[in-house]
Amino acid sequence: MKMNDLDVFRELLGGVSRRDFLKYFTIMASSMGLPLGVGAKMAEAVTNPKRPSVIWLSAQECTGCTESLLRATHPTLDHLILDLISLDYHETLSTPAGHQAEEARQKAIRDNKGKFVLVVDGSIPVKDGGVYCMIGGKPVLQIVKETAPQAGAIIAIGSCASWGGVPSADPNPTGATPVHEILKGTPVVNIPGCPASPYNFLSTVLYYLTFKKLPELDDQGRPKFAYGRLIHENCERRPHFDAGRFAVAFGDDNHRQGYCLYKLGCKGPETYNNCPSILYGDVGSGSWPVGTGHPCFGCSEKGVGFTAPLHALANIKYLTPNTFFTEAYPGKPETTSNIKALGAATAGVVIGAAGAAMLVGLGKKGNDTEEENKEG
Amino acid sequence: MSTRITIDPITRIEGHLRIECEVDGGHVTNAWSSGQMWRGIENIVKGRDAREVWLFTQRICGV
Repeated sequence: MKMNDLDVFRELLGGVSRRDFLKYFTIMASSMGLPLGVGAKMAEAVTNPKRPSVIWLSAQECTGCTESLLRATHPTLDHLILDLISLDYHETLSTPAGHQAEEARQKAIRDNKGKFVLVVDGSIPVKDGGVYCMIGGKPVLQIVKETAPQAGAIIAIGSCASWGGVPSADPNPTGATPVHEILKGTPVVNIPGCPASPYNFLSTVLYYLTFKKLPELDDQGRPKFAYGRLIHENCERRPHFDAGRFAVAFGDDNHRQGYCLYKLGCKGPETYNNCPSILYGDVGSGSWPVGTGHPCFGCSEKGVGFTAPLHALANIKYLTPNTFFTEAYPGKPETTSNIKALGAATAGVVIGAAGAAMLVGLGKKGNDTEEENKEG
Repeated sequence: MSTRITIDPITRIEGHLRIECEVDGGHVTNAWSSGQMWRGIENIVKGRDAREVWLFTQRICGV
Protein backbone atom coordinates (compact mmCIF):
# COMPACT_ATOMS: atom_id res chain seq x y z
CA MET A 1 0.00 0.00 0.00
CA LYS A 2 1.24 3.42 -0.86
CA MET A 3 2.40 5.58 1.98
CA ASN A 4 0.67 8.77 0.78
CA ASP A 5 -2.70 6.98 0.59
CA LEU A 6 -2.33 6.18 4.21
CA ASP A 7 -1.46 9.76 5.06
CA VAL A 8 -4.70 10.92 3.49
CA PHE A 9 -6.66 8.41 5.44
CA ARG A 10 -4.78 9.10 8.61
CA GLU A 11 -6.33 12.53 8.42
CA LEU A 12 -9.73 11.04 7.75
CA LEU A 13 -9.29 8.66 10.63
CA GLY A 14 -8.60 11.48 13.01
CA GLY A 15 -4.89 10.88 13.53
CA VAL A 16 -4.83 7.10 13.77
CA SER A 17 -1.36 5.74 13.16
CA ARG A 18 -0.54 3.51 10.19
CA ARG A 19 0.39 0.81 12.63
CA ASP A 20 -2.99 0.88 14.39
CA PHE A 21 -4.79 1.01 11.08
CA LEU A 22 -3.07 -2.09 9.71
CA LYS A 23 -3.33 -3.82 13.07
CA TYR A 24 -7.09 -3.35 12.99
CA PHE A 25 -7.42 -5.06 9.62
CA THR A 26 -5.05 -7.82 10.61
CA ILE A 27 -7.29 -8.56 13.60
CA MET A 28 -10.32 -8.52 11.29
CA ALA A 29 -8.65 -10.93 8.87
CA SER A 30 -7.62 -13.31 11.61
CA SER A 31 -11.10 -13.30 13.11
CA MET A 32 -12.29 -14.62 9.75
CA GLY A 33 -9.59 -17.26 9.67
CA LEU A 34 -7.82 -15.57 6.74
CA PRO A 35 -4.04 -15.38 6.27
CA LEU A 36 -2.25 -12.41 7.85
CA GLY A 37 -1.39 -10.71 4.53
CA VAL A 38 -5.10 -10.28 3.82
CA GLY A 39 -5.28 -7.55 6.46
CA ALA A 40 -3.15 -5.27 4.29
CA LYS A 41 -5.35 -6.06 1.26
CA MET A 42 -8.43 -5.06 3.24
CA ALA A 43 -6.80 -1.82 4.33
CA GLU A 44 -6.10 -1.13 0.67
CA ALA A 45 -9.68 -1.88 -0.33
CA VAL A 46 -11.18 0.58 2.16
CA THR A 47 -8.67 3.34 1.33
CA ASN A 48 -9.83 3.33 -2.27
CA PRO A 49 -10.77 6.94 -3.07
CA LYS A 50 -14.23 5.88 -4.27
CA ARG A 51 -15.86 4.86 -1.06
CA PRO A 52 -18.16 1.87 -1.43
CA SER A 53 -21.81 2.78 -1.10
CA VAL A 54 -23.88 1.15 1.61
CA ILE A 55 -27.65 1.53 1.72
CA TRP A 56 -29.23 0.49 4.98
CA LEU A 57 -32.97 -0.18 5.04
CA SER A 58 -34.78 -0.46 8.34
CA ALA A 59 -37.90 -2.57 8.56
CA GLN A 60 -39.41 -4.04 11.74
CA GLU A 61 -36.44 -3.43 13.96
CA CYS A 62 -35.56 -1.87 17.29
CA THR A 63 -32.33 -0.17 16.14
CA GLY A 64 -30.40 -2.45 18.48
CA CYS A 65 -28.23 -3.69 15.61
CA THR A 66 -27.39 -0.13 14.59
CA GLU A 67 -26.61 0.76 18.18
CA SER A 68 -24.29 -2.18 18.70
CA LEU A 69 -22.55 -1.35 15.43
CA LEU A 70 -22.05 2.27 16.49
CA ARG A 71 -20.72 1.21 19.84
CA ALA A 72 -18.08 -1.07 18.40
CA THR A 73 -14.92 0.45 19.79
CA HIS A 74 -12.14 -1.15 17.83
CA PRO A 75 -9.97 1.77 16.81
CA THR A 76 -12.00 4.38 14.98
CA LEU A 77 -14.82 2.18 13.90
CA ASP A 78 -17.17 5.12 13.66
CA HIS A 79 -14.77 6.58 11.12
CA LEU A 80 -14.71 3.34 9.23
CA ILE A 81 -18.47 3.36 8.90
CA LEU A 82 -18.95 7.04 8.30
CA ASP A 83 -15.76 8.00 6.44
CA LEU A 84 -14.48 4.92 4.68
CA ILE A 85 -17.77 3.40 3.66
CA SER A 86 -20.21 5.79 2.09
CA LEU A 87 -23.33 5.19 4.16
CA ASP A 88 -25.75 6.81 1.76
CA TYR A 89 -29.00 5.97 3.44
CA HIS A 90 -29.74 5.06 7.03
CA GLU A 91 -32.93 6.34 8.64
CA THR A 92 -31.51 6.64 12.13
CA LEU A 93 -28.25 8.28 11.07
CA SER A 94 -29.01 10.47 8.07
CA THR A 95 -29.22 14.23 8.36
CA PRO A 96 -31.96 14.86 5.80
CA ALA A 97 -35.50 13.78 6.60
CA GLY A 98 -38.68 13.22 4.65
CA HIS A 99 -38.49 13.50 0.86
CA GLN A 100 -34.84 14.61 1.01
CA ALA A 101 -33.87 11.33 2.67
CA GLU A 102 -35.85 9.40 0.07
CA GLU A 103 -34.11 11.32 -2.72
CA ALA A 104 -30.70 10.48 -1.22
CA ARG A 105 -31.65 6.81 -1.34
CA GLN A 106 -32.84 6.99 -4.95
CA LYS A 107 -29.69 8.82 -5.99
CA ALA A 108 -27.36 6.36 -4.24
CA ILE A 109 -29.15 3.48 -5.94
CA ARG A 110 -28.88 5.13 -9.37
CA ASP A 111 -25.21 6.10 -8.96
CA ASN A 112 -24.04 2.77 -7.60
CA LYS A 113 -26.27 0.39 -9.48
CA GLY A 114 -25.04 -3.19 -9.21
CA LYS A 115 -22.26 -2.22 -6.82
CA PHE A 116 -23.73 -1.02 -3.54
CA VAL A 117 -24.11 -3.16 -0.46
CA LEU A 118 -27.73 -3.36 0.67
CA VAL A 119 -28.15 -3.94 4.38
CA VAL A 120 -31.57 -4.79 5.73
CA ASP A 121 -32.24 -4.61 9.42
CA GLY A 122 -35.55 -5.92 10.77
CA SER A 123 -38.14 -8.35 9.48
CA ILE A 124 -40.55 -7.54 6.66
CA PRO A 125 -44.25 -7.63 7.52
CA VAL A 126 -46.28 -9.14 4.69
CA LYS A 127 -49.72 -9.32 6.31
CA ASP A 128 -52.41 -6.92 5.06
CA GLY A 129 -50.30 -5.72 2.14
CA GLY A 130 -47.35 -4.79 4.33
CA VAL A 131 -49.06 -1.87 6.14
CA TYR A 132 -47.30 -2.70 9.42
CA CYS A 133 -44.12 -0.96 8.31
CA MET A 134 -44.33 2.07 6.03
CA ILE A 135 -41.56 4.45 4.98
CA GLY A 136 -42.49 7.60 3.12
CA GLY A 137 -45.97 6.18 2.58
CA LYS A 138 -44.67 3.00 0.94
CA PRO A 139 -44.65 -0.49 2.48
CA VAL A 140 -41.08 -1.54 3.31
CA LEU A 141 -41.93 -4.81 1.56
CA GLN A 142 -42.17 -2.91 -1.72
CA ILE A 143 -39.02 -0.86 -1.04
CA VAL A 144 -36.93 -3.96 -0.34
CA LYS A 145 -38.26 -5.71 -3.44
CA GLU A 146 -37.46 -2.67 -5.60
CA THR A 147 -33.99 -2.06 -4.16
CA ALA A 148 -32.65 -5.62 -3.96
CA PRO A 149 -32.30 -6.38 -7.70
CA GLN A 150 -30.02 -3.34 -8.07
CA ALA A 151 -27.65 -4.23 -5.20
CA GLY A 152 -24.23 -5.85 -5.53
CA ALA A 153 -24.61 -7.76 -2.29
CA ILE A 154 -27.40 -8.11 0.24
CA ILE A 155 -26.82 -8.51 3.95
CA ALA A 156 -29.59 -9.21 6.46
CA ILE A 157 -28.35 -8.01 9.84
CA GLY A 158 -29.85 -9.25 13.10
CA SER A 159 -32.17 -12.12 13.89
CA CYS A 160 -35.30 -10.28 12.69
CA ALA A 161 -33.93 -9.84 9.17
CA SER A 162 -32.22 -13.26 9.17
CA TRP A 163 -35.06 -15.51 10.31
CA GLY A 164 -37.86 -13.35 11.73
CA GLY A 165 -36.66 -12.76 15.30
CA VAL A 166 -38.92 -11.07 17.85
CA PRO A 167 -41.68 -9.83 15.49
CA SER A 168 -42.13 -13.34 14.09
CA ALA A 169 -42.61 -14.87 17.57
CA ASP A 170 -45.87 -16.73 18.04
CA PRO A 171 -48.53 -15.65 16.97
CA ASN A 172 -46.55 -13.46 14.51
CA PRO A 173 -49.21 -10.71 14.46
CA THR A 174 -47.87 -8.91 11.38
CA GLY A 175 -46.67 -11.78 9.19
CA ALA A 176 -43.05 -10.81 9.91
CA THR A 177 -40.87 -12.52 7.29
CA PRO A 178 -37.09 -12.78 6.94
CA VAL A 179 -35.42 -10.98 4.04
CA HIS A 180 -34.22 -14.10 2.22
CA GLU A 181 -37.81 -15.36 2.00
CA ILE A 182 -38.95 -12.08 0.46
CA LEU A 183 -36.08 -12.25 -2.05
CA LYS A 184 -36.26 -15.92 -2.95
CA GLY A 185 -33.55 -16.87 -5.43
CA THR A 186 -31.26 -13.94 -4.56
CA PRO A 187 -28.24 -14.67 -2.37
CA VAL A 188 -28.62 -13.02 1.05
CA VAL A 189 -25.99 -13.14 3.78
CA ASN A 190 -27.59 -13.63 7.18
CA ILE A 191 -25.85 -12.17 10.24
CA PRO A 192 -28.23 -13.27 13.00
CA GLY A 193 -27.95 -12.20 16.62
CA CYS A 194 -30.03 -9.98 18.88
CA PRO A 195 -28.20 -7.71 18.39
CA ALA A 196 -25.86 -9.12 15.79
CA SER A 197 -22.17 -8.92 16.62
CA PRO A 198 -20.92 -5.80 14.83
CA TYR A 199 -17.68 -7.59 13.99
CA ASN A 200 -19.47 -10.39 12.18
CA PHE A 201 -21.15 -7.72 10.08
CA LEU A 202 -18.07 -5.59 9.48
CA SER A 203 -15.95 -8.63 8.65
CA THR A 204 -18.49 -9.64 6.02
CA VAL A 205 -18.58 -6.14 4.50
CA LEU A 206 -14.77 -5.98 4.43
CA TYR A 207 -14.54 -9.41 2.90
CA TYR A 208 -16.91 -8.37 0.13
CA LEU A 209 -15.05 -5.11 -0.49
CA THR A 210 -11.69 -6.88 -0.62
CA PHE A 211 -12.51 -9.97 -2.66
CA LYS A 212 -15.65 -8.73 -4.51
CA LYS A 213 -17.50 -11.86 -3.51
CA LEU A 214 -19.36 -13.11 -0.45
CA PRO A 215 -17.63 -15.18 2.23
CA GLU A 216 -18.37 -18.88 2.47
CA LEU A 217 -21.87 -19.41 3.86
CA ASP A 218 -23.56 -22.29 5.64
CA ASP A 219 -26.96 -23.76 4.70
CA GLN A 220 -28.72 -20.90 6.49
CA GLY A 221 -26.77 -18.21 4.66
CA ARG A 222 -24.54 -17.40 7.64
CA PRO A 223 -20.80 -16.75 7.15
CA LYS A 224 -18.96 -19.86 8.26
CA PHE A 225 -16.15 -17.87 9.85
CA ALA A 226 -18.58 -16.57 12.46
CA TYR A 227 -21.30 -19.22 12.79
CA GLY A 228 -19.30 -22.38 12.17
CA ARG A 229 -19.16 -23.54 15.78
CA LEU A 230 -21.69 -23.99 18.56
CA ILE A 231 -21.42 -21.59 21.48
CA HIS A 232 -21.06 -24.68 23.66
CA GLU A 233 -17.85 -25.65 21.90
CA ASN A 234 -15.86 -22.59 22.90
CA CYS A 235 -17.71 -21.59 26.07
CA GLU A 236 -15.46 -20.63 28.95
CA ARG A 237 -17.73 -22.67 31.26
CA ARG A 238 -17.46 -25.80 29.13
CA PRO A 239 -15.06 -27.57 31.52
CA HIS A 240 -17.79 -27.35 34.20
CA PHE A 241 -20.25 -29.02 31.82
CA ASP A 242 -17.80 -31.80 31.06
CA ALA A 243 -17.10 -32.29 34.74
CA GLY A 244 -20.81 -32.28 35.64
CA ARG A 245 -20.74 -29.08 37.69
CA PHE A 246 -23.99 -27.16 37.17
CA ALA A 247 -25.78 -24.16 38.65
CA VAL A 248 -29.34 -25.30 39.38
CA ALA A 249 -30.87 -22.01 40.56
CA PHE A 250 -29.94 -18.40 40.05
CA GLY A 251 -27.82 -17.29 42.99
CA ASP A 252 -27.12 -20.76 44.40
CA ASP A 253 -23.59 -21.70 45.46
CA ASN A 254 -22.81 -23.32 42.12
CA HIS A 255 -24.03 -20.26 40.24
CA ARG A 256 -21.78 -18.08 42.36
CA GLN A 257 -18.88 -20.40 41.58
CA GLY A 258 -19.40 -19.76 37.89
CA TYR A 259 -20.50 -23.31 37.03
CA CYS A 260 -22.18 -24.39 33.81
CA LEU A 261 -25.62 -22.85 33.15
CA TYR A 262 -27.02 -25.77 31.14
CA LYS A 263 -29.58 -26.67 33.79
CA LEU A 264 -30.85 -23.10 33.92
CA GLY A 265 -31.76 -23.46 30.24
CA CYS A 266 -28.58 -22.36 28.48
CA LYS A 267 -29.05 -22.79 24.71
CA GLY A 268 -25.32 -22.75 23.96
CA PRO A 269 -25.43 -26.44 22.95
CA GLU A 270 -27.78 -25.68 20.05
CA THR A 271 -26.78 -22.14 19.03
CA TYR A 272 -24.17 -21.37 16.40
CA ASN A 273 -22.28 -18.14 17.05
CA ASN A 274 -18.87 -16.84 18.04
CA CYS A 275 -19.92 -14.86 21.17
CA PRO A 276 -17.56 -16.75 23.53
CA SER A 277 -14.59 -15.82 21.34
CA ILE A 278 -15.48 -12.28 20.20
CA LEU A 279 -17.58 -11.11 23.19
CA TYR A 280 -19.56 -7.87 23.18
CA GLY A 281 -18.77 -4.24 23.68
CA ASP A 282 -14.97 -4.60 23.82
CA VAL A 283 -14.86 -4.22 27.58
CA GLY A 284 -12.83 -7.27 28.44
CA SER A 285 -13.41 -10.85 29.46
CA GLY A 286 -16.82 -12.11 30.47
CA SER A 287 -18.70 -9.48 28.51
CA TRP A 288 -21.30 -11.80 27.01
CA PRO A 289 -24.46 -13.37 28.49
CA VAL A 290 -22.88 -16.56 29.86
CA GLY A 291 -19.92 -14.56 31.14
CA THR A 292 -22.27 -12.45 33.25
CA GLY A 293 -24.01 -15.51 34.66
CA HIS A 294 -27.10 -15.69 32.46
CA PRO A 295 -27.76 -18.66 30.22
CA CYS A 296 -27.52 -18.12 26.48
CA PHE A 297 -31.08 -18.05 25.14
CA GLY A 298 -30.13 -18.69 21.54
CA CYS A 299 -30.94 -15.21 20.24
CA SER A 300 -29.23 -15.91 16.92
CA GLU A 301 -30.61 -19.38 16.27
CA LYS A 302 -33.80 -19.97 14.33
CA GLY A 303 -36.20 -22.19 16.25
CA VAL A 304 -34.42 -21.48 19.55
CA GLY A 305 -34.35 -17.74 20.33
CA PHE A 306 -37.81 -16.31 21.11
CA THR A 307 -39.23 -19.74 20.28
CA ALA A 308 -38.01 -22.36 22.74
CA PRO A 309 -39.06 -21.75 26.38
CA LEU A 310 -36.38 -19.68 28.09
CA HIS A 311 -35.60 -22.02 30.98
CA ALA A 312 -36.17 -25.37 29.26
CA LEU A 313 -33.14 -27.57 28.66
CA ALA A 314 -31.37 -27.24 25.33
CA ASN A 315 -31.16 -30.05 22.84
CA ILE A 316 -27.52 -31.01 22.74
CA LYS A 317 -26.79 -31.02 19.01
CA TYR A 318 -23.56 -32.94 19.14
CA LEU A 319 -20.66 -33.34 21.44
CA THR A 320 -17.44 -31.97 20.17
CA PRO A 321 -14.49 -30.97 22.24
CA ASN A 322 -13.50 -27.39 22.85
CA THR A 323 -10.90 -26.18 20.39
CA PHE A 324 -8.23 -26.51 23.07
CA PHE A 325 -9.60 -29.67 24.64
CA THR A 326 -7.11 -32.48 25.05
CA GLU A 327 -7.99 -35.87 23.65
CA ALA A 328 -9.86 -38.18 25.99
CA TYR A 329 -8.01 -41.22 24.61
CA PRO A 330 -4.72 -39.84 23.35
CA GLY A 331 -3.07 -41.97 20.73
CA LYS A 332 -5.73 -44.67 20.79
CA PRO A 333 -6.12 -46.00 17.23
CA GLU A 334 -9.52 -46.07 15.49
CA THR A 335 -11.09 -43.56 17.84
CA THR A 336 -13.20 -41.07 15.93
CA SER A 337 -13.31 -37.51 17.15
CA ASN A 338 -16.95 -37.99 18.17
CA ILE A 339 -16.14 -40.88 20.44
CA LYS A 340 -13.27 -38.95 21.96
CA ALA A 341 -15.60 -36.12 22.78
CA LEU A 342 -18.32 -38.43 24.00
CA GLY A 343 -16.00 -39.89 26.59
CA ALA A 344 -15.16 -36.47 27.89
CA ALA A 345 -18.72 -35.22 28.01
CA THR A 346 -20.56 -38.28 29.27
CA ALA A 347 -20.47 -37.18 32.88
CA GLY A 348 -22.10 -33.90 31.95
CA VAL A 349 -24.87 -35.54 29.98
CA VAL A 350 -25.75 -38.12 32.61
CA ILE A 351 -26.03 -35.54 35.33
CA GLY A 352 -27.75 -33.10 32.98
CA ALA A 353 -30.43 -35.66 32.17
CA ALA A 354 -31.43 -35.89 35.81
CA GLY A 355 -32.34 -32.23 35.79
CA ALA A 356 -34.25 -32.52 32.55
CA ALA A 357 -37.51 -33.78 34.01
CA MET A 358 -37.59 -30.85 36.37
CA LEU A 359 -37.15 -28.18 33.73
CA VAL A 360 -38.76 -29.44 30.55
CA GLY A 361 -42.18 -28.02 29.89
CA LEU A 362 -41.70 -24.63 31.48
CA GLY A 363 -43.23 -21.84 29.48
CA LYS A 364 -46.53 -21.67 27.70
CA LYS A 365 -45.35 -22.74 24.29
CA GLY A 366 -44.85 -26.44 24.98
CA ASN A 367 -41.93 -28.34 23.55
CA ASP A 368 -39.54 -27.40 20.80
CA THR A 369 -40.76 -29.94 18.28
CA GLU A 370 -44.26 -28.52 18.33
CA GLU A 371 -42.88 -25.06 17.66
CA GLU A 372 -40.72 -26.17 14.77
CA ASN A 373 -43.63 -27.96 13.13
CA LYS A 374 -45.82 -24.92 13.44
CA GLU A 375 -43.18 -22.73 11.84
CA GLY A 376 -42.54 -25.11 8.98
CA MET B 1 -55.28 29.21 3.12
CA SER B 2 -53.29 26.57 4.96
CA THR B 3 -50.70 24.19 3.53
CA ARG B 4 -50.22 20.63 4.67
CA ILE B 5 -46.64 19.41 5.09
CA THR B 6 -45.71 15.75 5.51
CA ILE B 7 -42.30 14.65 6.77
CA ASP B 8 -41.82 10.91 6.47
CA PRO B 9 -39.46 9.39 7.47
CA ILE B 10 -38.30 11.46 10.42
CA THR B 11 -34.62 10.58 10.67
CA ARG B 12 -32.20 10.48 13.61
CA ILE B 13 -34.74 8.80 15.83
CA GLU B 14 -35.38 5.17 16.57
CA GLY B 15 -38.29 3.70 14.63
CA HIS B 16 -40.43 4.92 11.81
CA LEU B 17 -42.13 8.23 12.50
CA ARG B 18 -44.31 10.37 10.28
CA ILE B 19 -45.22 13.98 11.04
CA GLU B 20 -47.93 15.87 9.25
CA CYS B 21 -48.65 19.49 9.99
CA GLU B 22 -50.88 22.25 8.78
CA VAL B 23 -49.17 25.58 8.27
CA ASP B 24 -51.15 28.77 7.98
CA GLY B 25 -49.36 32.07 7.43
CA GLY B 26 -46.09 30.74 8.80
CA HIS B 27 -47.73 29.24 11.90
CA VAL B 28 -48.35 25.58 12.55
CA THR B 29 -52.05 25.37 13.23
CA ASN B 30 -52.41 21.63 13.63
CA ALA B 31 -50.10 18.61 13.67
CA TRP B 32 -50.26 14.84 13.75
CA SER B 33 -47.56 12.31 14.52
CA SER B 34 -47.84 8.62 13.81
CA GLY B 35 -45.65 5.57 14.30
CA GLN B 36 -45.39 3.78 10.98
CA MET B 37 -44.27 0.41 12.27
CA TRP B 38 -46.08 -2.11 14.44
CA ARG B 39 -44.86 -5.51 15.59
CA GLY B 40 -47.66 -6.44 17.97
CA ILE B 41 -45.40 -7.19 20.95
CA GLU B 42 -48.48 -6.77 23.19
CA ASN B 43 -50.05 -9.72 21.39
CA ILE B 44 -46.83 -11.72 21.37
CA VAL B 45 -46.41 -11.61 25.16
CA LYS B 46 -50.06 -12.35 25.93
CA GLY B 47 -50.34 -15.65 27.80
CA ARG B 48 -46.59 -16.26 27.82
CA ASP B 49 -44.60 -17.48 30.82
CA ALA B 50 -43.98 -14.31 32.85
CA ARG B 51 -40.32 -15.23 33.25
CA GLU B 52 -39.59 -14.85 29.57
CA VAL B 53 -41.65 -11.76 28.80
CA TRP B 54 -38.64 -9.51 29.40
CA LEU B 55 -36.98 -11.05 26.37
CA PHE B 56 -39.62 -9.44 24.18
CA THR B 57 -40.38 -6.19 25.99
CA GLN B 58 -36.69 -5.41 26.27
CA ARG B 59 -36.55 -5.43 22.49
CA ILE B 60 -39.27 -2.83 21.96
CA CYS B 61 -36.44 -0.35 21.55
CA GLY B 62 -32.75 -1.11 21.21
CA VAL B 63 -31.49 2.43 21.72
